[in-house]
Order: sequence, then structure tokens, then C-alpha cells
Amino acid sequence: MDLIFHKDFLINSQSLKLIRNFSRETFVKINTEEILNQQEEIILAIAEAAQNILKHAYHTKFCDEKLKIKITKGQDKIQIDLFDKGTKTDPEKVKSRELGNVRPGGLGVYFIKQIMDKVEFISEDNSEWVNHLVLTKYIR
Amino acid sequence: METKLEQIDGINTVFLSGEVDLDVADQAKEFIANQMVEGVQELHLNLKDVSYMDSSGISILIESHQKGAKNGTKVVLKEVSKSVLKVIMMAKLELVLNIG
Repeated sequence: MDLIFHKDFLINSQSLKLIRNFSRETFVKINTEEILNQQEEIILAIAEAAQNILKHAYHTKFCDEKLKIKITKGQDKIQIDLFDKGTKTDPEKVKSRELGNVRPGGLGVYFIKQIMDKVEFISEDNSEWVNHLVLTKYIR
Repeated sequence: METKLEQIDGINTVFLSGEVDLDVADQAKEFIANQMVEGVQELHLNLKDVSYMDSSGISILIESHQKGAKNGTKVVLKEVSKSVLKVIMMAKLELVLNIG
């Protein structure tokens, strides 16, 4: 049986701390030994994904709208779904920068891809959400 | 996040503590930039009490390093916490930034 936890957060940079706290509390409830030593990295990936929503889907740190985060513990994986109603994201444009080109910025997507096993944008008709990002970490 | 400035052995040392993320990045960046005035040859950033750092925090470290290189201030990271070092290494910056 899947364990599902979800919460809505204001589109606001102050929400990033709340998102990390929610993720940490959820991992305590899930209590999966297999990901215990990767927990903080997964929380970083979740926070980076949320940060990208604030920066790229809303182009601002402050907004009255909300994003939703759902964390699901399945039999062999942890799945994190992030939903928002900001500007439609073109998955082709979501790229990390070359690490050799050292400059501030552009590392968030790289971190997410390094940490998670699968990163995908889901396109859904008739959804109340504009963007749906799914991050998956398999439990080995 | 909290910021503090101390002079240790004649070198200005900025202490950052707590969680360094997008929400506090501008505050941290400004505090560090204010210490990089003309004539300062070396500035230390003590990160022993930073419990969490995201890509915004890493950007501050890169920006400070690059600004220092341009202005003649060597920026050295001191007592880097385990969690911050993990993120620095993930970004493959351990040989780019001065870690002492």
C-alpha cells in the first residue's frame, strides 16, 4: 500500500524552509532505512524544484497562489509530485549548465538530476494545474 | 540564517550560520560584499554552522570568489560543514573555491 503525504505552499521564498520541514517530517513518518542516508539530498532536490517553480514559473519570489507537493512512498520508490499554476514550462528548456562554465546560478536542475533517478514533466489535459513535475528515487 | 563578522588573526571572518537558501541569499551576499572593500587582501567565510545550503547559497560562494579574484581579495572558506561540503562537491567546485 502506498503512503501519501501532501501539502500546499504559498508561492513565496519563505515557503522553501516550510517545504524542507514538511519533507523532513514526511521522511520521518515514512521511516525507510534504505533512503535514510540520502534523505537530505532528496530534500535538496525537492527544494531546488520548488525554487525553480518560484523563479521560472512565477518569475517572482512573492505571489498569492500556491504550489502543491505530494510525497508518495511506494513499494520500490519514493515519488515526489510538484504541481503549480504558473507559466507553462517547456521541458526542452529545462537544462543544467555545463559545470566547467563556473558562474553563479544554473545549478538547481543539475542537483535535481544528480540526486533523483527520474525527472519528468507530465502533460495532463483537464488538470487544475499548469505544470506537473515528477521526481522519482528508487529504493534499492 | 545569521551573519556575524569577527577579526581573527587580523583577517576579517564572516560567519554564516543556519540554513542558506534563496530566501536569505541577498542578505548573505550583501553582508559578504560589504567586507570586500578596497585594500582587503583576504576574507574568510566560516561555514561551520551552516546546516543547509542550496544552489542559491553555492551561487553566493562562486560570486564572492569571482568578485574577490577581480578585486584582489582572496576569499577562503573555513571549517566548511559536512552538509555544505557535500553540495560543493556535487557541484564539483572543491578545486575551484579556496577551501582552507
